[in-house]
Amino acid sequence: MTNRLPSGPPGSPLATADMAGWHRLHPLSPLIRTGRHVVTIGILLVGVIFANRSQAGGDLVINLVVIAIVLAAGVVSWLVTRWQVADGVLRIDTGLIRRQLLRFPLSQVQAIDVVQTGLARVLGLAEIRLRMAGADSSGGRLACLRLADAEQLRERLLSMTRAPGTAAAGGQVALPGGQVALPGGQVALPGGQVALPGGQVALPGGQGTLPGGQGTLPGMAGRSGESVEIRGAERQLFRVRSRRLAGAIVLSRAGAYVAVVIAAMASVAVLTGQPGIVASFLPPAFGVVLAVWHQFNGEFGTVVAVAPEGLRLRSGLVQTTAETIRPGRVQAVRLVEPLLWRAFGWCRLEVDVAGPRQRRENQSEARRLRALIPVGSRAEADQMIGELLTAPPKPARRAPRNARWKAPLTYHFLGWDGDDRYVVASRGRVCRKTTWVPLHKVQSIRWVQGPLQRRLGLASVRLDVAGRRVTASIQDRDAAEANDVLRRLPEHARAARARAIDPVLADPPPGG
Amino acid sequence: MPVAEPGPPAEVGDDGIRWQHPSPRLLRARRIQVGLVTIPAALIGGLAGSTASAALGLGLGLGLVIAGLLWERFLARRVAAWGYAERHQDLMVRRGVLVRRLSVIPYGRMQFIDVTAGPVERSLGLATVRMHTAAAASDARIPGLDRAEAAKLRDQLAELGESLAAGL
Repeated sequence: MTNRLPSGPPGSPLATADMAGWHRLHPLSPLIRTGRHVVTIGILLVGVIFANRSQAGGDLVINLVVIAIVLAAGVVSWLVTRWQVADGVLRIDTGLIRRQLLRFPLSQVQAIDVVQTGLARVLGLAEIRLRMAGADSSGGRLACLRLADAEQLRERLLSMTRAPGTAAAGGQVALPGGQVALPGGQVALPGGQVALPGGQVALPGGQGTLPGGQGTLPGMAGRSGESVEIRGAERQLFRVRSRRLAGAIVLSRAGAYVAVVIAAMASVAVLTGQPGIVASFLPPAFGVVLAVWHQFNGEFGTVVAVAPEGLRLRSGLVQTTAETIRPGRVQAVRLVEPLLWRAFGWCRLEVDVAGPRQRRENQSEARRLRALIPVGSRAEADQMIGELLTAPPKPARRAPRNARWKAPLTYHFLGWDGDDRYVVASRGRVCRKTTWVPLHKVQSIRWVQGPLQRRLGLASVRLDVAGRRVTASIQDRDAAEANDVLRRLPEHARAARARAIDPVLADPPPGG
Repeated sequence: MPVAEPGPPAEVGDDGIRWQHPSPRLLRARRIQVGLVTIPAALIGGLAGSTASAALGLGLGLGLVIAGLLWERFLARRVAAWGYAERHQDLMVRRGVLVRRLSVIPYGRMQFIDVTAGPVERSLGLATVRMHTAAAASDARIPGLDRAEAAKLRDQLAELGESLAAGL
């Protein structure tokens, strides 16, 4: 009844030439897409059966019906979903009742991830996720394809995002607002847009957020139009140590929650003498354990490598993720040093990347920044920072003594510094957070003075960058200093922006 | 207003900034809004209190009215604190009396601009202009502009934003 598609061979392997035709997803994808729901329902089912064993029969039937409906919905959704790559645009048509025709111009793609959930991994399938620039539109998902097909498709799509003039037949897409989307830090100029002598561009060393300026990257110095071997040159920067990751999670806030929950359960059981009461603690305990597991699973085996198309990030134990952060997309870098980790000299390095929040299964991830180093030594973090930023300043300028009255608990970490490329600011009570913001990424600057600050002659200046509420806060400075910063920063930021934009390719403007 | 110029000290960005202020009718709009909240609250509080005892009801109602009047006292200063200045490359917006804020938004960073008007603002011919950047934290709005001025500002900002557009 629903089959009104032109019959593409179901789950067809990507014969490389016929990407222009319509394709279906893999026939097993409904199972994987609904897999999570089935697990949830299964848990509910067990709960129901335990709760009232007497009438479990009726509930069982109801639950089975629910599962059947969910699976049937998955199959229908699979039947009505098709995709196509043509003219540099990925089209996905989906939905039976609410039909959606999605269109993703590849020149505006921020990143392409290959994600494998646990079940998908068993079946050898993978999901492709496109990340677009919009703040909250969920990007495109193709779930699921065979792993080999997914990787192949990802590379083909990536090559199209970089060379719209050659790979994508349609050429450059005209964007609203007169912007030109130049994918990647790559020098892939569509013919006729900007003529560069010989196609050679020297990336300016000053402002790159990726080490493009250092000339360390093969392919970064850009040859116009040539497609770069994708699986080729890759230089590994960091690999997380599993044992350290486990230790770090135990010593993190999540670990503390687990300890609290276990202690509460134990003490209640002992005090009341009725172990049965512990059952009422199970839901929160389950949630906490799930969160810890999620973190461990997501950050296990994180590998960061530099490749021509950007930073490659791979991680995951059961669900594996491979993503690419394209050059010039890093908006801010944050170093986090929690109290307990400092004892071991550990820290965490996160980057803020513009793009949509990941919804659904990655909800916990949405609230955090992307961790390049889930846990590592200071030396590793310093090395990574050196790759991301060129000669970043250190937060050496301490806050004035007056600030002690306003922020007695954070005073010891307050500090900032800046030059004409970056501003760095640190703060935190027990967990020290240091944020580097490249000036050419600054979206707005805010000067704030609360009543207490006014009494003490202090003020703060905040620098906002795109993304998930990342702000470098130059907190509690002398009012005169803050005013001076406010007077000079906009000019510095403008100069940095001009430097970043003039050599067009260093920092490609995103589409709308 | 007979109030010392609030907001950050004058030397902040002292290159000849001419602050522009919202329309004086913003104060009237704010007063109406306070009245719309206070009077029903006082009535409901008074009635609810009088079910227990008449004195309590009277006290509650009076208390709420006094709270509203005190709130009204601050309105003038808060309204006077709003200001904006168009500079060559960026827009500055300042506000706040107790917590003073000043935002600098480069024209090139503006993603889009809204003009909104609530019922009270609309009845007085006012509108609020709000600038959005890619950063969720940067909040720049200018309330209580004349509707014509708001439209003019919007067009002006959109034009500047387009000509100076920078990427993310």
